[in-house]
Amino acid sequence: MRLANYGVILMLASLGGCVTGFTVVEPGVNTFGSLRVTADENWNKAPSSFTPSARSNSRTWTQDGMLLDRIMIIPGVKDGESIFVSRNKSAALPVFRADMLPNEIEELVESSIVKLFGEGQSAVGTSGLRPQGFGTDGGFMFDITAAVTESPDYRGLVGAFIVDETLYMVMFLAADPYYYDKHAARAEAIIKSATLRTKSITNF
Amino acid sequence: MIRPFFYLALMIAFSAAANAELETIDHIIPPGYEPSEAQDEQGLWMELKDYELRLNKSALLVRDPELTNYVKGIVCRVAGDYCNDIRVYLIRNPGFNASMTATGMMQIWTGLLVRSTSSDEIAAVVGHEIAHYTRMHTLKRFRRLKSSAAAGGLIDIGISIFTGTSVPIAQSLASMNALAFSRDQEQEADLLGARLLHEASMDPHAAYRVWQNIIAEEESAAVKRRSVSVFAQTHPDDQSRVDVTREWVIAKYGPPDNIEVADDALVTIMNNHYYFLMEDQIDTNRFGRTKELLERHSAMGVEPGTIYYFYGEMFRQRGADGDRDLAMSAYRHSIETGNAPADAYRNLGFLYLKEKDIEGAKKYFTIFLEQEPDATDRAMIEFYLDKG
Repeated sequence: MRLANYGVILMLASLGGCVTGFTVVEPGVNTFGSLRVTADENWNKAPSSFTPSARSNSRTWTQDGMLLDRIMIIPGVKDGESIFVSRNKSAALPVFRADMLPNEIEELVESSIVKLFGEGQSAVGTSGLRPQGFGTDGGFMFDITAAVTESPDYRGLVGAFIVDETLYMVMFLAADPYYYDKHAARAEAIIKSATLRTKSITNF
Repeated sequence: MIRPFFYLALMIAFSAAANAELETIDHIIPPGYEPSEAQDEQGLWMELKDYELRLNKSALLVRDPELTNYVKGIVCRVAGDYCNDIRVYLIRNPGFNASMTATGMMQIWTGLLVRSTSSDEIAAVVGHEIAHYTRMHTLKRFRRLKSSAAAGGLIDIGISIFTGTSVPIAQSLASMNALAFSRDQEQEADLLGARLLHEASMDPHAAYRVWQNIIAEEESAAVKRRSVSVFAQTHPDDQSRVDVTREWVIAKYGPPDNIEVADDALVTIMNNHYYFLMEDQIDTNRFGRTKELLERHSAMGVEPGTIYYFYGEMFRQRGADGDRDLAMSAYRHSIETGNAPADAYRNLGFLYLKEKDIEGAKKYFTIFLEQEPDATDRAMIEFYLDKG
């Protein structure tokens, strides 16, 4: 087979992936490494080709499409790692440090979301930092807003906790107000369902 | 359009002959210009007007009257008879940029304000953009792109790129190069811009000083924005732009009177809006650049309590060895000025918490809540206060 034909096949295969890449997440407990998250009902899991900024072990779920709403499940971020990834070496992505306190995780997310939308393309704010338990582990939640150029405003919720110097995070982001209001209650329940498989007791 | 670390310098070989030629550079279009009958110019105006309608609704458009009136005042002063042809939009973006379309739509990023040490430097960038406009460079660039093989694809990238305000982070360097003004156009804009400054009774020496600031910031950056090798392949050394412009301005207008000092108008703007202007810079996670800006703002006379607070923010978020101590010291200095923002108490409290100094943490958390009883993170602070 000539090289050109391989190219056509690869292109068709990738197009096929674009159409059929989303898979259904069934209601119930989903496990991501040692992190467990409970889905209330069916969600749509995005293929990795749709989430180039996601870490390899992260997952993205959506109801109405990723531009409108998404839940990002980010398990197992180690000291020195970022919560998103970028091929742009000059992106200056902020990194998680194991000694971070909740206010610093809040800033880590704020700066990371700026990079996610594109530096200079968005203004991101956080508020409402508050304690939140995740199973037996102490964690926290906060709210996030993002004004993005040539895009709807976004609003979201973030839940996170740190165990054994490792960060676990579940983040909901949706177009504001309609899609945020539509899914916020379900997303909050999913975020609060996050627990570790192995029993641990931590404070922060 | 000015894109900082992209085509910072464009005037290497600046011969005496070229100098003489540039002496005669003048505006091409008159005040009140309307597009010609040419189909492509009409089309470009239509597209840009559509973009401007969308820009008016942008969530990133700054609407604060004091800030917008300040930049509009500078633009009108430099533009002179062209003032009524220009609509000014201040855009919330921590980058250094200003741009102007063929239709008279000027966009100025908030990053330009925090990178300027005087209103004259802002005016220098504005004058440069107005010169692009009155020399019809945007239309010429549009026609050059249209005639190139890549034009179709580039134009499809979006009109936002043409305006210079909304370049996607993943935009390729090659595409950006194709969108740049030519070296000759940059020369014309730099020198005609300096002339506009002089005619507005402003300091033409700001035309090169503003670039010196950008070079200093780039040198202080821990993470450079672009590969030096790619930059060097496509652009002359940025210092040469400063050198050539300085030489030309001194030859035409004489040496600078003295070291430039910040004017009250800009310092007032900075003091009244510093939080708003700098919070996006902090979010860039580019600490070397932030530190350079803070040193500059301190020298300008921006309120020390605020400057110390942002030093604390910068050190705390950078988190390198020794930064915690530096951050705590900066917050304490901020508090000692008597003009510390409430957040200085909160963030100092968090650092005491890291030091496992619970009493110290409680002391500053308590002051924070006294100053900000409606703080949205009150529940988190009270959690630590109750934890004991």
